[in-house]
Amino acid sequence: MDMTLNAFTLSILTGLQLGSIYVLIALGLTLIFGTLGVVNFAHGALYLIAIYLAVSINNALGFGLALIIVPPVLFIIGVLLERGLIQRFYDRPHTDQILVTFGLAIVLQELLKWVFGANNIPFTIPSWGNGIIMMHEYLPFLEGFVVYPKWRMILVVVAIVTVSAVFALLHLTRFGLVIRAGMRDAEMLQFLGVNINRRFMVVFGLGAMIAGIAGVFGGPVTQVSPEVGMQLLVPSFLIVVIGGMGSLGGAVLAGILIGMAQSFTAPYIYINTIIIYLITVIILLVRPRGLLGAKGVFE
Amino acid sequence: MAILDIHQVSLSFGGLKALQNVNLKIEKGTTHALIGPNGAGKSTLLNVLTGMLKPDDGSVMFDGKPLLNVNSFDINQLGIAKVFQTPAIFPEMTVLQNVTIPVFAARDGSFNLNMFEGRSKQRPLIEFAEQQICELGLEKHMYSLAGSLSRGDKRRLEMAICLANKPRLLLLDEPTAGMARHETEKTIELLNSMQDGITKVIVEHDMNVVFSLAEKISVLAQGQIIAEGTPDEIKGHPKVIEAYLGEAQV
Amino acid sequence: MITQNNFWQHNRTVLIFALVALTMPLWFPLMGGYSGLDTKIMIFCIFVVGFDILLGFTGYLSFGHAAFFGISAYVTGIMLKDFSDNIIPAIIVAVLAATVVAVVIGLLTLKRTGIYFSILTLAFAEMFDSMAMSMLQKWTGGENGLTGMPTPMLFNLKMQGDTVFYFVTFMAIFLFYMAKRIERSPVGLMMKAIKCNQTRLEFTGINARKYKLLAFVISAVYAAIAGALMVVYEPFVGHEFLGWHQSGEVVIMSVIGGVGTLVGPMLGAGFMLYFENVLSVNLGEQWLLVLGAIFMAVVIFMPGGFMEGVARLKKRYFTTVDGE
Repeated sequence: MDMTLNAFTLSILTGLQLGSIYVLIALGLTLIFGTLGVVNFAHGALYLIAIYLAVSINNALGFGLALIIVPPVLFIIGVLLERGLIQRFYDRPHTDQILVTFGLAIVLQELLKWVFGANNIPFTIPSWGNGIIMMHEYLPFLEGFVVYPKWRMILVVVAIVTVSAVFALLHLTRFGLVIRAGMRDAEMLQFLGVNINRRFMVVFGLGAMIAGIAGVFGGPVTQVSPEVGMQLLVPSFLIVVIGGMGSLGGAVLAGILIGMAQSFTAPYIYINTIIIYLITVIILLVRPRGLLGAKGVFE
Repeated sequence: MAILDIHQVSLSFGGLKALQNVNLKIEKGTTHALIGPNGAGKSTLLNVLTGMLKPDDGSVMFDGKPLLNVNSFDINQLGIAKVFQTPAIFPEMTVLQNVTIPVFAARDGSFNLNMFEGRSKQRPLIEFAEQQICELGLEKHMYSLAGSLSRGDKRRLEMAICLANKPRLLLLDEPTAGMARHETEKTIELLNSMQDGITKVIVEHDMNVVFSLAEKISVLAQGQIIAEGTPDEIKGHPKVIEAYLGEAQV
Repeated sequence: MITQNNFWQHNRTVLIFALVALTMPLWFPLMGGYSGLDTKIMIFCIFVVGFDILLGFTGYLSFGHAAFFGISAYVTGIMLKDFSDNIIPAIIVAVLAATVVAVVIGLLTLKRTGIYFSILTLAFAEMFDSMAMSMLQKWTGGENGLTGMPTPMLFNLKMQGDTVFYFVTFMAIFLFYMAKRIERSPVGLMMKAIKCNQTRLEFTGINARKYKLLAFVISAVYAAIAGALMVVYEPFVGHEFLGWHQSGEVVIMSVIGGVGTLVGPMLGAGFMLYFENVLSVNLGEQWLLVLGAIFMAVVIFMPGGFMEGVARLKKRYFTTVDGE
């Protein structure tokens, strides 16, 4: 690959940016699956709700309000979904869980299409986020004039902050300790008298909220149209599988890996469209539990 | 003659030595009990015998044929059946269907492309399955869903499933676990009444069951066989007492 | 004589289906159905019956069967354009191609648990969809799709209008009968046991993995036949034949109709297509929204679908009479 340092740096940045959205969605997915054991086929639809909500508030009342309102609203939606629907399915076979969340995904997608129309809604980036960053000013090894869109860098920063916050929550708080323990053995926790139901509710809400954050910042990048939800869900699922189902670190690692893979294969358009599937197949054959997945679990 | 020859089998899970150089010979036609405190490795050994786990070392011969690196279903086709702690049956199928499955497995092997075989050809096998069900006293449940049976009946059904493809070795993993007194008695009766010729290896905690059924007992503790002998020899064996008491102290 | 009696008894459902299907051109217009839609319903009956052998018997939920439907459709189209307008070689080659792909995908995805399987099959459907739009554009016509096929011929018979309907319907009846035979056979029994307790099945001497693969391949063959017939019915293949949307439709049809009953999913197919093409006149663009809601309601309250509803009604109104 004949690549200049400039081009290489740009590809890395693009890889990080692509990875950021994947990581945010995959993080919620794997958190929910690892804790509740539920495969949430409606997660893409949660992202959809987030971007539509964000764009509506943004275009009418400004980005600041969108940022303040959307994540908490998504948290509440997540909690309501868990209480109202998901919890009925804990004792039912996995297939039923998949079916009901799949149905939910379709219903939500169609609902949004009905209300907002099938066309792309432009998401105007706030003025402070607009423009480009002079990368050559920060990275001395770059030659000449190298720029990168500001908003995309912001997205990467947001992803880093969110991932760090989630890890901090899980590893530094008592709540996080309970969740991590629950991820390994939910039944045991129940015997110990821990109110696992409330935890489940919060975790689902958390997963939805992360999708909300992804939507607020990712909306301008992924565009706002009804197909976006499912379009992001499939790669996000694969990232969860590649990283190892139930492994948060794995989701982050795999998300970045896939982002990079897509970025570096961008000039080779045919490979680019299927690189994520190729990587999935290789992982399936060589290391079925995923990069950081636990052995024997869900294999 | 030893139908099952377990030779120097060792298995570690990370740092934990679950089985250490286990040597065990099971004589054909006998009822052989495997006892020992919790965590001794009894279930692990059974899992090795049924192909669920691969040992790090050692060999297992069944009737002269190697048993390691063989798939679970092939192990069953060789003649080894396992009764699980919690009765493993097919809950959403009828009792008759449950028992028909092993009958077909015996005739057709582990896989057969007989997709278009009609009822008329299946008649004799279904009739045989019906027979088996009657022999175990489950006729009135013939067309009931297996999942709706009582626990005791599920245990009988599982026994019927295991016996339907004429195994030569039956492995029982704590068959009376969680059972009330009278159910335990019934199970002992059932096991005693089984045809001679079937070798039985029973892992058990209930000493009453062990002493009622076993002709020979092997004691496993911390992954090793610490004693072996007839029930009388084991009853007062100092090492055995030590192994169990040692556990009780903890 | 006894065998004769058994044949009619055993195949009662097939015969009823044959009767209902072959007379469709008579009663379907009375419901607002139009000619052509009945053919499409028959095609999806084939798709969905095969799908039920996988989902209903073994319990494995595939979101990728549209891949076989679409691959077969594309190959049929290409064969008709470039090889011969005779549908027989086209269908045979198309189904073979899809079957080969099915074996590969089946080997890769069936090793894992049901959850992994569902996710991976979804991914494969999307992968083929992407490939059809990008790298395989030359053959598939990319986003615009494959067109320009000659009038399909069954040797000397022009495949148009009613001829297509009856050809498809006879295939549907035959394939339904085959599915029923499979259900009654030892193979069907083993497949159903997989859904109940795979471990117990293996410990009873059965190679569950091979039966899973068999179910997967059989259902793929059915999907492929449906795909090929789709092109005979309508000379167009679009990339949307391959993706999650098409796969999802089949899942919805099966669940609404009644997973595992073989008949139920066919009713589901009829219902969904009728809903989409006839009732939607009143509902407009929101037909999928309503259908999605119905689907969710079925999964939540009556997971056995329409057939469960029928069974429940039977129990309520007929057991008191029989005293059971």
